[in-house]
Amino acid sequence: MRTVLSVPAAAEPLLTIDDLLWFLYLYPLRILSAIAPRRFLYPFCKLSWFRARKRRDVAARRMLKARRPGMSDDQIRHIAERFLANSAVRMLDDLVLSWPSYARRLRCREIEGLDHLERARSGGKGVILLTVHFCAIRIAKQYLASRGFPILTVRDEIAEGDWWGRLGRRLLAPRRIEFLQAIMGESVNVQDRGCVLKIVGRLRAEGLVNIHFDGLAGAKTTPWTFLGARRNFSTGIFDIVRLSGCAVVPMLCLGRSSDFRIVFGPMLEIVQPPGRDEFIGANLPAFVETMEQQILKHPEEWEQWMSI
Amino acid sequence: MDEHLNDTMTRIRRVFVESLHLNIRDDQVPYEQMLEDVAILDSIALLEFVTAVEKEFGIRMDPALLDFDFLRDLPALALYIEHRIEATGAGA
Repeated sequence: MRTVLSVPAAAEPLLTIDDLLWFLYLYPLRILSAIAPRRFLYPFCKLSWFRARKRRDVAARRMLKARRPGMSDDQIRHIAERFLANSAVRMLDDLVLSWPSYARRLRCREIEGLDHLERARSGGKGVILLTVHFCAIRIAKQYLASRGFPILTVRDEIAEGDWWGRLGRRLLAPRRIEFLQAIMGESVNVQDRGCVLKIVGRLRAEGLVNIHFDGLAGAKTTPWTFLGARRNFSTGIFDIVRLSGCAVVPMLCLGRSSDFRIVFGPMLEIVQPPGRDEFIGANLPAFVETMEQQILKHPEEWEQWMSI
Repeated sequence: MDEHLNDTMTRIRRVFVESLHLNIRDDQVPYEQMLEDVAILDSIALLEFVTAVEKEFGIRMDPALLDFDFLRDLPALALYIEHRIEATGAGA
């Protein structure tokens, strides 16, 4: 819901609370983030919480539906609180990434399973790093890029957002898109007509491509049960794997910019039946199970509880 | 434009129509228009087309040239394929 500060004759308000919050975030807070310690900035990012109670409650209900056996209601409520806190942490981390000196400020505790990644790369057909939307994913990818592992990210086009007032839409919305594009590193929009070619070009050059398996965009989808609910999965990733012969390695990123971990899992075993539909049917369950396990083990890190 | 290049372009158009199972004659609609339409509907189809072209001509395209604008330029694509065939000795 939009909080209106000033309502002119036009249908859209001149200014909304979101305009003010985005202004604070993109200008004073971003500048402060270059010099101020995290503990000083964190309370500012918590400003967004006053509107987030509903989000937390919805997330908790969905976590209840998807929870692991033996998990109590109290534990779920606690996880939902941490889910909310992590959204503020991610906002701070995005500020860190927005500075050219970000690589010096990222503190990676460990990279686990690098041998899995190297084994996959040795196949010579490129590697898809399979992830879900976890809070630490951007910092992890930028860190890996700074250490000689550049990654092409496949992402949904950044929407302008429908929360702006007239002032915000005109002055802040373009700035917000610029900001987000800059912190995402090298990426390609799934809506671009040459998206698949760019992905396969990178794979053929023995490169790394990151695909969020829980992404909602895709021209063709197939339904499957995911965290206790039906969800449509884009089939594009399976077509790319089938036609390129690339390897698929699950990647898990946990923590925050001042202390994070990256874990590469063993390569997923790709079943190769003849036919497109058969290929999807044979491989989708393993992809879903791998990603579900990541989320159920670290539910507070997953950003998509609101969209299942 | 030399006859050989024309033949290659004709073959590319035919591969395009056949690989994507399009229910049209390959001279009915301009190649560029067909490619645009397919890309909007299903970008995976472009990859299937590239794979079919590579199979037809026995070549492997340079990763840097896997680009929509390059594929759209039929004479440039045909010329590239001819150069690749010459360089690799692949049979036409």
